[in-house]
Formats: sequence, structure tokens, C-alpha cells
Amino acid sequence: MKTRYVDRGRLLATFGACLAAVSAIAAAPVFNETLAPSQISIGESAELRISSSGADRLPPKLPVVPGLEFRVVGQLQGVELIHGATLATITTVIRVTPQIAGTFVIPEISPTAQPLVLRVNPANFGGSSIMRHGVGAEPPAGDIRMMEDDSAFLRILADRREVYVGEAVPIAIELGVRAGAVSSLNGLPTLAGNDFTLNDMSRQPDRKEAVVNTEPFLLLTWHTAIAPVKPGEFPLIVEVPLTIQMSTRPRREALLEDQLGDPFMQRRFGAKVRKDIKAVSPPLDLTVEALPLEGRPPEFSGAVGSFQVTSDISSATAAAGDPLTLKMHVTGSGNFDRVDSAMLAHVEHWKSYPPTSSFKSSDALGFKGEKTFEQPVIASTAGAQVLPALTFAYFDPATRRYETVRTSPLSVVISASAADAAPNASAAAAIAPTGLRPDHGTPGVFASSLVPPYLRPTFLAIESLLTAVLAGAWFRQRAAGHPDRGALLHGRGLSKSIRLALTRMDEAARTGDGAQFFALARRALQETLAVRWQTSAELITSSEVDVRLDRDDDGLQIRRLFARADEVAYAGESIRSEELTHWTQFVRRQALRELS
Amino acid sequence: MNLRCALLAIGLVVCASAGGVPADAQPPRGGWSSAALYNAGNAYVRAGKPGLAVLNYERARLLAPYDPDVEANLNLVRRSLALPTEPGNRLTGAVGGVSPTMATWIGVAGWALVAAALLAGRWSAVHRWLRRTAVIAGAALMGFTAASGVALWPRLHEAIVIANAAPVRVSPAPLGDALFTLKEAEAVTTAGEHEGFVLVRSAAGRTGWVWHTDLVSVVPRS
Repeated sequence: MKTRYVDRGRLLATFGACLAAVSAIAAAPVFNETLAPSQISIGESAELRISSSGADRLPPKLPVVPGLEFRVVGQLQGVELIHGATLATITTVIRVTPQIAGTFVIPEISPTAQPLVLRVNPANFGGSSIMRHGVGAEPPAGDIRMMEDDSAFLRILADRREVYVGEAVPIAIELGVRAGAVSSLNGLPTLAGNDFTLNDMSRQPDRKEAVVNTEPFLLLTWHTAIAPVKPGEFPLIVEVPLTIQMSTRPRREALLEDQLGDPFMQRRFGAKVRKDIKAVSPPLDLTVEALPLEGRPPEFSGAVGSFQVTSDISSATAAAGDPLTLKMHVTGSGNFDRVDSAMLAHVEHWKSYPPTSSFKSSDALGFKGEKTFEQPVIASTAGAQVLPALTFAYFDPATRRYETVRTSPLSVVISASAADAAPNASAAAAIAPTGLRPDHGTPGVFASSLVPPYLRPTFLAIESLLTAVLAGAWFRQRAAGHPDRGALLHGRGLSKSIRLALTRMDEAARTGDGAQFFALARRALQETLAVRWQTSAELITSSEVDVRLDRDDDGLQIRRLFARADEVAYAGESIRSEELTHWTQFVRRQALRELS
Repeated sequence: MNLRCALLAIGLVVCASAGGVPADAQPPRGGWSSAALYNAGNAYVRAGKPGLAVLNYERARLLAPYDPDVEANLNLVRRSLALPTEPGNRLTGAVGGVSPTMATWIGVAGWALVAAALLAGRWSAVHRWLRRTAVIAGAALMGFTAASGVALWPRLHEAIVIANAAPVRVSPAPLGDALFTLKEAEAVTTAGEHEGFVLVRSAAGRTGWVWHTDLVSVVPRS
């Protein structure tokens, strides 16, 4: 019994505690925060919903996050049932618009809530993840001319306006795209016009964000170099293909929607369309001067810039006949593609070979670096030899004149022996130079390729084309020579039958079978006349022959043969060989006349 | 009209073959010279670089297959390294004495002969035997050029090992032990490339992948 009272007491205490807890829950304000979506791109907005319920429900304080803009766009009121208690709930809808890309942490509104994370991607420019976060404190320097729809701007940054033909001029091409206005970059910048050549643009552009005219912009900067190809004054213009997002609604409507509407409604109802455009930079006027003819050194190869040269030799001592490598290093800045040198040629006691070159750039543009020329040289006589100084000429745009720089002469001691000794490597020892046939004196004929000419695609293409032209011409002329193709084929068939008849006629003549001979001779003539008259051989009868043939010698002979064929067939007389020969020749002559 | 077109076509073939556009990589300054390649091969022999020597000899042989000096020095280097010399066959022997450029001209002449004979046949019916003879002769000349191409084709896809010992792997990855090792100056046939590795077939018929810096193609790739 006592135990039952104790259990009842516990049950009542538990129930009372639950009531107290529910009352406490109902009285205390409860916050709930949701953020959707948690990942957006520049130009889009996320929706933050903060729900508060309880007796002391209060409108939430908007969080402050640098780079994010919070704007209350509406409030919703409702009732919720929590643990049997009815609670009034107020939900505040806040639009979160990022100004820059990055990962943002929105602090919790209440101690019980969790901080929210919003990831903001840059506008879609090919999915590159290389980004530097942060807003540029200063707008880009220089004049900016926006495109008509204010979606982007493109400009060229160059330090110099007066340049020389062939000179490599470093420039920066800066493309600024307004956040959310440009959806994709459809190609690399290209030059408009043929007055300049543009260096390789395959490197990724630098990316950063900046505020231009109080709006966030993504700046893409390509660092490259141009080279003028001819003297004169030319505008330098760059073009970039883009896809922009354009609003299809009137500006006033869009503004109203922006103030009051749901930010997701725009995308839902297709308020924006994409359009491919080409951003064009304002012209940058450059004056291109020709390289002066006066004072141009003979070894000048077109190098424009500022260069220094040094040289070295692979070994200061060697044996006569040993190959040495002479190197010339050209360092500095300028158009290295035009830096060239023949190095040494026709030096007494030395045999030199054409040099090869390699370039090692020290910057991304290939504007600064070192070009190394390597030339194999072989000393032919022993003794202390001196390799003369190497010279290199270039045009310096700073001083506006040609400069010629020289290396120091190099001394090499050549020993008389060891002509057969290889300098190193066991492989060299394995090869016995003795027995090697001597070098050729004359360079001979030069070929542009090692591939035989008849295997080169150009040759094969031209050859195939000409073969096709020849075949076409042949068939066309063939068809033109025989307009009636059917008649041609028919004539050929008859010619074959005439030949057959003639052959069998000859056999009958040899065996002396007169009846058979005349039957075949008449058949051969029928076939021949059928071709001539374009009719069937069966229709060529004696009466047809009488009507159609003239009264000339051939006509009379044919009539005579037809008559003789009937006579011999019915009379069965023997025929003399002379007559057979006569008719054989006559029929053959008639047939050949048709065949020819 | 048709005859005029054909004559123009023949002229274009002649012009194209005379100034053909290169289809491969940029040649050295001034172009390829068999003599310069031969001399470079000799220099590499003296420098103890047999791989590069054989490479230059092979290139010289492409331009001047009739040059006995190239053949002699190439065989000398190969014999000194205990490498097999290239066995000659009947086809190579038949066309080996003619340079590829001359073979091209022979082919062009054959083509022109056939074209002229065919067109003449449409123009006039006389001298049929002469036209037939011309067609047969032209076809024979073109066949000679084709035979030259067949003989040269394997060498155009050859590469020479320039590394001291080039490991050949079972797959295009620098993992595991090598299947076998190629000697310097050994000639292999290339069959493909993948991420820096080249699929090769050795003279013994073994195949595998070699790192691309260990060998150089006889005909530079574009």
C-alpha cells in the first residue's frame, strides 16, 4: 500500500514538472534561422528566414557582415503548436546579397542558434577557382568607358605611346565585368586590325575584385606584349567576346521588383536573357616609328630593347680535332624572338658549325630573359688559339640609336695529340673514330623538310585534286563524243555479232560449205546494215535491200549476195573457192566500214 | 578546253612538287642539308654521343640515300656498339639509289605521261599502241615512286635512343621495374604517345613505353 502512495506522488511530481517546463518554453522567445540556398554566385541573392516565437517575440536585429548586404523584404505571422502549447510565430524574410565572392559566416541571432555559412562563387568564367578575395579599396586607375549596358568595360594599359617597328611593347588588357551582369567569357582578347601582332595569350589572367562607380566589379587582367609591324600612327583596339545577362523588363518595373519582390522570382519568370556581345576597348593611339637606316650595323638582326652579352667555352684546353662548344649569352629585355647571331664564321685554324639557340624567360611575357647561342667549334691546329670576340647589335629605344656590344676574346690551348681520344664517356671509347669517313666540304642542297615531297600532305592533296580533274575531263569528253549512250552500247553489241559471223564465215569457206558460207555472209551483211540503218537485223530482207540501197556497185553486190544465198540454199550447188574468196573480201570490207 | 585544263593541272603538279610546303617541324635555319647532317653525325661520333650521331646519319640518309659515306659511317657506329645494321631488302635496293626528291619528280613525270596519253586518246584515235605504251610507262614511273614511299615509310616512323640506357616500361608511368633496356643509338619504331611516354617497338619486336626525352624521332614531329 505504501509503495502505491509513493508511486502516485512521483507521477504527480513528474506531471507538474512537465507543465512547468511547457510554460517556461512558451514564455521564453525561441529563434530559428534558415538560409537558402547556402551557395550562390555573384549577382544572385540568398534568403535568410529568422523565426521567433514565444511571449516576448521581438523583431531580430540584422547581422552585420562585411561584403554582405541584408535587406528585410517581408514578415510572416503564424501560429505553431509546441508540446501542446499554442505559440504565435513571426518570421522575418531577409534578402542577402553578396557584393564580393568568398565564404561568409553569418553570426547567430540567438545563443541557441548555429552560425550560418554562405558561399559566394564568382561569376561563371569557365569555372576557374583561382580567386583572390577582398574588395579593392581603390577603383582602377585611368579612364574607364563603360559599355552601353554598363555590364563591362575593356581597356588597354600601356606605359608608352611612341614605339618602334618590331619592338616588343608590354601592355595590360583589363576587362572589368559587373557582378551578375556577365555570365561567361567566350574567348581570349584579340586585336582589331593588322597593324600589331599580339604575343601568346594562353596564360590565365590575373583576377581581382574592385569597386567601380560604387559597384563591385571583377577585373581580369592579361599581361602580354604587342609588336608593331609597320611605321605610322595606329589605334590599338582590343576585343573580347562575352555573354551578358540582359533584363527584358522595363527598368522601372525591374527597380520595383528589386525593392519589393522575391529575388528568386526574377530567375523563375525569366526576367533576364543572355546575349553574346563583343566588348571593344577604346582605341589607344600609338605612334610607330621605323628603325633608322643611319648607323645600322651589318650584324643587326632586328633586336630592339636593351641587351648585354657574355661568352664562354666548354673547355680552355682540348686536342686538335676535339669539338668544343662556344656559348654566347644575350641577357636583357626586348623582342627576344628577333635576337639572332651567326656567331663565328670562317675563323682561321678553326672549323665552326651553325649555332643553335635556346631562350629562358625570366618573366611571364617572355620580355626579359636570356637567350643562349651554342656553336660547335673544332680547332684544326695545335697551339695557343684565340677565339675572337663575338659582337651583337641591337636598337635601344631609350637612346634611340643602335648599340653594338662585344664579348671578350677567349683563349684555348690546343694540344697536338689525342686526335682519336674521345673527351669522355665509355661509349665514346667504344666507338673507334678510325675508319670514320671524312666530313663533306660543301653543304649541298637544302631541303625544307625531311619528309619526302611526295608524302607531304600538300603534295598529296594537289595530286589527288589534279587526278580528279583529269578523270572528270576524260569522262566528260568521252560522254561528249558519244551523245547517244544507248546507241553506242547497241552498236558495240552488233559489232561483236558481226565479228562472230565473219569468223564462222571464214570457217565455212575453209571447209568449202557453200550453203553455210552464204547463210553466214548474208547474216553478217544483215548485222552490218542493221547498224547502218539503226534497225533490227531480222528486218533486213531482200526486198528491204532493194528498196533502201542505191544502184551503185556496193548495192548491186549486196543484192547479188542475198540472191546467191537463196540459190545456194535451195539448189545445193558447189561453190568455187575463187567465188568464196571474193565474197569473203566483200563482206569483210562492208563490215569493216561499219566498225571503223 | 579539257586538254587545256589537263595541261594546267600538269603544270600545277610540277610547280607544287618543286616548291612543296613542309609538313613537319621547322627545319634548322636554312633548311636540312644532308652534308650538314652527315658532318654533325661525325662530330657527335668524335664527341662520344653515338645516339645523336646515328640520329643525324639517319636524317642524312633520308635526304641522300645514295651517299656511301653516310651508310659507311652509320654502319661503323652501329657495329662498334654491337647494334644490328639495317638489313637491306630487294625493294630498298631497287629504289635506294634515288633521292626522295628525284623520286617525286619521277612520279610527277609518270603522272603527266599517263594524263597526256589518256587525253590524247580522247583527242585522236591514231597511234593507239603509242598511247598504251605511254600509259604503261607512266604507271611504271608512278609505281617506282610508290615503291620508294613504301621503302621509306618505316624509317619515317623511327626514333633513335639518345639516352645511355633507356628503360622500357610496361605502362606509361614511371612505376615498377623496367621490362627491358634500350641501348643508346638503337633504332625503334614509334606507335603512339601518352603523357610524355612513347610507345615503341624494338628491332627485336619487343614493345613498351619509353620516356620521351630518351629518344628522338628521325623525322621531327610538328
